[in-house]
Amino acid sequence: MTTLAGSRRLRLAALLTPVTLLLGSCFLVPLGIMALYSFLTPGLYGGVEWNFYPYNYGRVLGAPLGDVEDFDPVYIEILLRSLRLAGTVVVLTLAVCYPAAFWVSRFHGERKSFVLFLVTLPFFASLIIRVYAWMLILRPTGFLNLVLESAGVIDAPLQIIFTEVSVVAGLVYILLPFMFLPIYASVEKLDPALVQASEDLGATPWQTFRRVVLPLTLPGVIGGSLIVFIPAFGNFVVPALLGGAKVMLVGNIIEQQFLAARNWPFGAALAMLILGTVLVLMLIYVLRIGRGGVAAGAKA
Amino acid sequence: MSRRSGRVLDAYGAAFLLLLYAPIALILVYSFNSNVVNMMAWEGFTLDWYRSIFGLTTRLSESQIYVHSTEALLAAVRHSAIVALCASMLSTAIGTATALGLARHDFRLKRVYQGLLVLPMVMPDIVLGIALLIFFVGAGFKLGLTTIVVGHCVFLSSYVFVIVSARLAGMNTELEEASADLGAGPWTTFRRVTLPQIMPGVVGGALLAFIISLDDLVITYFIAGVDSTTLPLFIYGMLRRGIKPEINAIAILLLVFSFVVAATGLWLRSRRQ
Repeated sequence: MTTLAGSRRLRLAALLTPVTLLLGSCFLVPLGIMALYSFLTPGLYGGVEWNFYPYNYGRVLGAPLGDVEDFDPVYIEILLRSLRLAGTVVVLTLAVCYPAAFWVSRFHGERKSFVLFLVTLPFFASLIIRVYAWMLILRPTGFLNLVLESAGVIDAPLQIIFTEVSVVAGLVYILLPFMFLPIYASVEKLDPALVQASEDLGATPWQTFRRVVLPLTLPGVIGGSLIVFIPAFGNFVVPALLGGAKVMLVGNIIEQQFLAARNWPFGAALAMLILGTVLVLMLIYVLRIGRGGVAAGAKA
Repeated sequence: MSRRSGRVLDAYGAAFLLLLYAPIALILVYSFNSNVVNMMAWEGFTLDWYRSIFGLTTRLSESQIYVHSTEALLAAVRHSAIVALCASMLSTAIGTATALGLARHDFRLKRVYQGLLVLPMVMPDIVLGIALLIFFVGAGFKLGLTTIVVGHCVFLSSYVFVIVSARLAGMNTELEEASADLGAGPWTTFRRVTLPQIMPGVVGGALLAFIISLDDLVITYFIAGVDSTTLPLFIYGMLRRGIKPEINAIAILLLVFSFVVAATGLWLRSRRQ
């Protein structure tokens, strides 16, 4: 028996060795080094000097190294703008996907699979191509201005590209599937008998929605919001192509620090701030959903 | 639900599909437009944009196209193909092994592994990208196709793990036990009983990994070397230099390819379930 247990343990070790090596050396160690870098002094020509230097964070948060540099609120403004735009993207994708999930869930059999296939397919389209499509639509000589002008709504082309509106539009478009799928999963699980029961007991449609449908689909809404917020917050491709130099997000600043300014410690500090925000949100999610799950179980 | 509200919902659904597909359809239409001055104004049907990508003779002048030699474009396609093939095969092996290990064994660190495997998927791309950049440069690795493959494996393994785990969770363990009772060794049981059952998950995971790797821009952006530009990086570079109609044709070819791969994966999954 001991040999059997021993061989099982050996097999487990063999199965988990590759992933342990991969995530240990190429995920945890790099993240650790990045955290370390964010507390080092930026060298003169790129690179770092190995001494403790908290001012990478100070530069962003309002406590810079007094003699050398002044506090520039631009970084905190960009951080807040990134948060605000990511929040807007979450609200808009939610507003678009919530009714759509109910629409798909009403189909049956082969037709349902087909509609679901149609909704899922754009998810696999190249991200850069989907952003490009919105450059075509929103630029001054683009499709939207063409339509509005020929309809006589406007005389001169609207400047939409390189504004916050175009960045939000691009982010909403590329992140729609991330919101749709979790919401759809929770709408599918919703028992129609519960909705029926609520209506039979005399609840108005609004009451049924508020007290039955919304609470039961909330896990999907929260899950979707989280996985839309994370890529929206740190994105740099969409603001680079649709926001230009006018709508910079924190991702663009990080990119600059690494590839142009060559101030890696400062870039690492900004990345740590993104990572910290995401981890806090994840933690709240895990704790809340854990408790919510218990409460739902108790009710059932 | 009343008939009227049902009809409103159907109209909404149609608008939703339009929102998803119209931007892509726009690129498709423009890719065939022969107007070289203004691609928004339809002039006539042409295949010149497609021909120019492949270096065939067209009536276009040099200034109207980005890709003066198709070599750079073909090199980018080749790099993307190598990276996507290597990264998807490696991560399929790693992710499947991990899923088997966690599904069929109980041990103290199981929760730690499960949590750790979620992290690369929810980590913002840019954070993982720069962490890998600092690591690779610090460790003295030359940035190139190898670093891209390793970087992709870090997050692709998690996707494969999730898909194969779902398959394993829905699987009947009695067959494996019967196989063991009948005297089959662990390897024979795996090859003859477990693997055929999880195969749709493994293939699905591999296809998903392939598509994600092929499409990845942000992480690749930070860990690619000067001579290892992939297709998304190439397109990103083109777009930063301005829009020329040629890009429509490249976009459509890429879309057709990823749709075919994705549709195959989705079809396989629906058929074998």
